[in-house]
Amino acid sequence: MEFWKDSQEAVTAVLKMHELLMEDAELVNSMKKVNQLIWYDYTESGPGCAVWVDCRGGNLAFGAGDPPDKPDLTMSLSADDAHRAWSDKLNPVMAITRKKIRVKGSATGLLKLAPKIKKVAVYYNKGLRDLGWEDKILK
Amino acid sequence: MKGNTGKILNVNLTSSTITVETLPEEYYQKYIGGSGLAAKLFWERGRFDIDPLAPEALLMFMNGPFAGLRLSGASRNSVAGCSPLTGHWGDSSCGGYFAPELRYCGLDGLVITGRAEGPSLLLIEDKQARILDASEYWGRGTEEVNSSLKKRFGKAYRTLVIGPAAENLVRYAVILNEGHHATGRAGFGTLMGAKNLKAILVKSSKKKMDLADPAGLETLRKDLNLRIADALASQVLHENGTAANLVGGVYSGDVPVKNWTSNFWEDAAEALTGSTLTEQYLTRRGACAYCNIACKRYVEVKEGPFKVSEGPGPEYETIVAFGTLIGSIDLAATCKAGRVCNDLGIDTISAGGSIAWAMEAFEKGHLTLEDTGGTPLHWGDLETVITVLLPKIAQRDGPLGNLLADGSVSAAKKLGKGLEYTVHSKGLEAPMHDPRGGGYGMALTYAMSPRGACHVADPMLFIEMGARYYPEIGFDYVLEPKSYENKAEAAVTSVAFGAIENSACFCQFADAEVTIPDWLALFNTVTGSGWDADDMLRAGRRIFYLKRLINHRYGLTAQDDNLTPRMLEPGKDGEAEGSQVNLELMKARFYELMDIDPIKGIPTREAMEAYNMGEEAVSVYPG
Repeated sequence: MEFWKDSQEAVTAVLKMHELLMEDAELVNSMKKVNQLIWYDYTESGPGCAVWVDCRGGNLAFGAGDPPDKPDLTMSLSADDAHRAWSDKLNPVMAITRKKIRVKGSATGLLKLAPKIKKVAVYYNKGLRDLGWEDKILK
Repeated sequence: MKGNTGKILNVNLTSSTITVETLPEEYYQKYIGGSGLAAKLFWERGRFDIDPLAPEALLMFMNGPFAGLRLSGASRNSVAGCSPLTGHWGDSSCGGYFAPELRYCGLDGLVITGRAEGPSLLLIEDKQARILDASEYWGRGTEEVNSSLKKRFGKAYRTLVIGPAAENLVRYAVILNEGHHATGRAGFGTLMGAKNLKAILVKSSKKKMDLADPAGLETLRKDLNLRIADALASQVLHENGTAANLVGGVYSGDVPVKNWTSNFWEDAAEALTGSTLTEQYLTRRGACAYCNIACKRYVEVKEGPFKVSEGPGPEYETIVAFGTLIGSIDLAATCKAGRVCNDLGIDTISAGGSIAWAMEAFEKGHLTLEDTGGTPLHWGDLETVITVLLPKIAQRDGPLGNLLADGSVSAAKKLGKGLEYTVHSKGLEAPMHDPRGGGYGMALTYAMSPRGACHVADPMLFIEMGARYYPEIGFDYVLEPKSYENKAEAAVTSVAFGAIENSACFCQFADAEVTIPDWLALFNTVTGSGWDADDMLRAGRRIFYLKRLINHRYGLTAQDDNLTPRMLEPGKDGEAEGSQVNLELMKARFYELMDIDPIKGIPTREAMEAYNMGEEAVSVYPG
């Protein structure tokens, strides 16, 4: 992997970001509106390298590894491309077209969240800083 | 001839003569079909010295080679000729169900000239055709006429119908197939109206086609249909229609607001997006022939001021043209406006563009109550738009109806004010994608498009999004939308590809999944053309060149490859704030790469000879 020592690092960074953005009411509200169980599947970069986010039923929960139920939406990509994506340095349409991201399930919610990626990236970078991984922040 | 039938129907409505003509196979090799083949015929047979609505004007309906092959997205057709709206080359693509039926009749197209003495309809049954009296349908809306024709002839007859707007020669009237699918742009409904041709019906008795390699095609067809259905974009389009990503458009600054005075209206994102339409008004999904994407919508608005019975729903362009563009985020109103436009037979893009211009003119005091016959025009007043303005336009009723019935450019010229805030290229109102937010490459291809500002003349919109790449031919650009880097380079392939798409009559949503080897396999198994990628792309560029030559004959030059001042101003807000397109920079590079004369706007003699257009070269470079 280009950016991570191991798959656990990638998962930690994504979980940290979700932890931070829980304080942003607007983002939380936007995510709840998606009303899906989303699985970010980075397992091509290592076993267990995955994060799930459950936005169903007006709740918002997240965790590492396999999702608690069958996901409504699965996005499969490498942990390195996930890092680029959360950093707003990967054009998601291009990545999907070039099969760097594989999507399974309804992408309606994803389309609504996509414009928020700039704001999400701010939390992602803050999370990296908090974790002492400033060197991983993409310029 | 394999694949194509090689036959077209020539119909002269003045003399009531109908003949079947066999075209040379070379025409298909060089110009494919659809709008390319139409351009070839227009170049040879078109008149450049007459009014676009004169009886001698050609109205051409042309299929592509894949019509009727049960392949998703591949059964569109092209309608072409001199645009009544712009006065130069125009073509307009339509899905629906007409193309396959015509193909099964053993015909690749129709070339209609003359003017019938009274309201008429053209009835085609296999290769036999008759002209019938259509007086009883004249003056009636498309919905009623379509329904009456189906009752009279049978549901299996495929219909093309014009509405009252076309009869009254509104310059941006449409032709509706099956009461739903519009040949929308450039005003070819108007040309049908001028010919007193209310409708065309087609019905075949068999579905036999002579293909070069039926077994090879069958394998490919099944594979492509699966891949097209499985693609994420197809699923998104199926689920929420063509407005599925309106949210993304709003936040990138691609969605124009109030006649392009703004690029950002945040509330529009949720209010107008495709998933909202699905949740609030969708009753069922629809599709063009053999398409398993099914991006068409059927909607019903059960209550409120814009109540609409179940029927065809609005697409993205209509939602924005009757939404943010005219200052509204009322989705029900867009459903209603779209339905009214369909019934009257009006292009929603040019109508929305012309109304947006009029609203701004009224706000600025350039258009007064005296000019409008007492009708005030205010942003977001959809009640007036739907109940007063659209019917007035369709009937050319009063000063306002007459003013707007010829489009925004003509209206500004007649008024002597407001030309600087018209939004068009070559007289065609721009579609609902603002290049200041959507991407600068799209500004270039809007300006270069032979028919005028158009987002489907070529796939640049998708290329800049990152949704298209063709690594097999080295077309692998990573483009930043608001940048000039590699835009002219990308446009060279994009315009050629657009010409191929619109000549093969393949939907841009479906053919996103078709790779270069797939395209070649399609052409080769259907027509036996034996093409390689270079042959195919050369045909694309040749078609692009030929349409420019046609415009040259109409007197257009490189100066006409332009955008209006409003489109070239810096964006005011949102992601597009400060974003300004330097068109001249991209244009100069594009001409250079395309071997186009930067004054005349046509290919150099050498380029034409290199593209096997020696005869055409002699015509424009005599001596």
